[in-house]
Amino acid sequence: MTLALSDIPSGRGLFRQKPMAGDWFVLTAIVVVAVVAAFPLAWMVLTSLKTPAETMQTPPVWLPATPNLDAYGKVADVIDSGRSFLNSAIIATITTAGILLTSLLAGFAFAKYRFRGREWVFAGVIATMFLPPIVTLIPLYRMVGYLHIDGGLAGVIVPNLANAFGIFLMRQFIKGVPDDLIDAARIDGASELRIVFSIVAPSVVPAIAALALFAFVYHWNSYLWPLTVLQGHTDQYPIVISLSRLLSYNRGAMNTGLVMAGATMAVLPPLVLFVLLQRFFVDSIISTGVKG
Amino acid sequence: MLTPALVLLGVFIVVPMLLTVWLAFQDWSTETGFDTARFVGLDNFSAIFGPTSVGRDFKGALVNTAIYTLGSVVLLLPLSVLFGLLVYQQRVRVGVVLRTILFSTYMVPMIAVALVWSKLYSPSEGPINQILGWVGLPGSTWLSSPNTALGSIVLLNVWQQVGYFTVLAVAGLTQIPGSVYEAAAIDGANALQRFGRLTLPLLRRTLLFSAVIAVINAVQVFEPVALITQGGPVGATNVLTYHIRRVGIERSQGGLGSAMAVTLILALIVTVVALFALARRGGDE
Repeated sequence: MTLALSDIPSGRGLFRQKPMAGDWFVLTAIVVVAVVAAFPLAWMVLTSLKTPAETMQTPPVWLPATPNLDAYGKVADVIDSGRSFLNSAIIATITTAGILLTSLLAGFAFAKYRFRGREWVFAGVIATMFLPPIVTLIPLYRMVGYLHIDGGLAGVIVPNLANAFGIFLMRQFIKGVPDDLIDAARIDGASELRIVFSIVAPSVVPAIAALALFAFVYHWNSYLWPLTVLQGHTDQYPIVISLSRLLSYNRGAMNTGLVMAGATMAVLPPLVLFVLLQRFFVDSIISTGVKG
Repeated sequence: MLTPALVLLGVFIVVPMLLTVWLAFQDWSTETGFDTARFVGLDNFSAIFGPTSVGRDFKGALVNTAIYTLGSVVLLLPLSVLFGLLVYQQRVRVGVVLRTILFSTYMVPMIAVALVWSKLYSPSEGPINQILGWVGLPGSTWLSSPNTALGSIVLLNVWQQVGYFTVLAVAGLTQIPGSVYEAAAIDGANALQRFGRLTLPLLRRTLLFSAVIAVINAVQVFEPVALITQGGPVGATNVLTYHIRRVGIERSQGGLGSAMAVTLILALIVTVVALFALARRGGDE
């Protein structure tokens, strides 16, 4: 890669070169889109800091006169938020660990083993990726009853321990791991499992991190299946389902600040994780780009 | 190596999928074991397409889902290309910031999105009608009227998902070699011509993939309907995922619900095949 002088940012300006009229237009468009995109979340946080009276006013008040955290305290009165967060964390963490493990193993097999019907089996796996969950919801609901894992966290977790997207992602990245590396380990007498964990996994860390992020966020946010399998067992509810109980609390009246406080709490873990890991991704892409 | 993944996918996706197809031809209550199912031929299908309230509700949900899907795709694809160009352009340096902000909305739980937007849409206490008033536009009824409720849910869905499709568009844009544009610039093509004759045709595969994913995502809309509108007002936001769950789980009519699910998957297959055909025909021109 060659580096031209013009590629080096001059100072801390917004523009890479002397701005033309079109560049100001692009900058304006970016700012407008960013503000519109960020507005609902900003409104959520601002409203969670307002007094109940402020949330009821017409026309709406934008900035709270005296920002306060009262609504957050109230959330804990209405729902067992600590327990809900713990449930969410358990569901998202165990499901993610399971997906990482099954995807790594299956991705390795699809990438590096030759066997009859491999492409057909792989195509079948991919097909499950495009199936909307509602299509299997009704029999699955009865099946977890047969397995005696309904009404609890196990019922939420177990059906999701493998997923086609994870297998696909791992296969794509493991394909790029040199066969020589794997064969050398085999000659040294390493078992296949050992090869996966000590040779293959360390070579695809960025893919594992990306999959972990997506799986964690997806299962932290997931609503339809936990709602169906846990119905009524409020002590098992993850935070996203407990939120709906905030809405029905004191319905239509002074609950706006309460709902926004709860929503802010539920949004934080996936958002923080994304912002942290995105920087890590960008760094890893830049560093591999310079080396390569 | 393959066993854990294939057993899990087999037991929790393939088996229930086959059961759904089987149950679509049975009279079965979801509260009882599969052994109580009784074969009824095509009765479930004639019921859900028939003139009774069962048929009216289902056909309403089918139409609502089609409108919702079309609205989502028609808004998401152009916006994703537009925003993708803003993120990808090299002259102004804040493109990456825009990508982060756009994609972060995709990380927000849909339930929180639904809660926040239900307050934003509030006709009297919400800021959207207030802002419209500032620029001299009349406010809307948003979620509270049958005419505007479904469109309002399309908009909040577009807001949540557009970041994901923008990232897909940026990935597509990076695959187009810069030399193509240099050649076009030498030939005297202006920016609009370069976009129409080069960028869009070269993004065709990306747009096809985006359209397929957008369709599959759109039929899954559930949280805003379940939480805010309960399918109303007067059935205006009754969409398939919500309706199938209400029939098959809450009312325990497992056979009827399964027939609806089978219809959904068939409609989805037809739509995706049509999208591929459309993209192929576009490619031959």
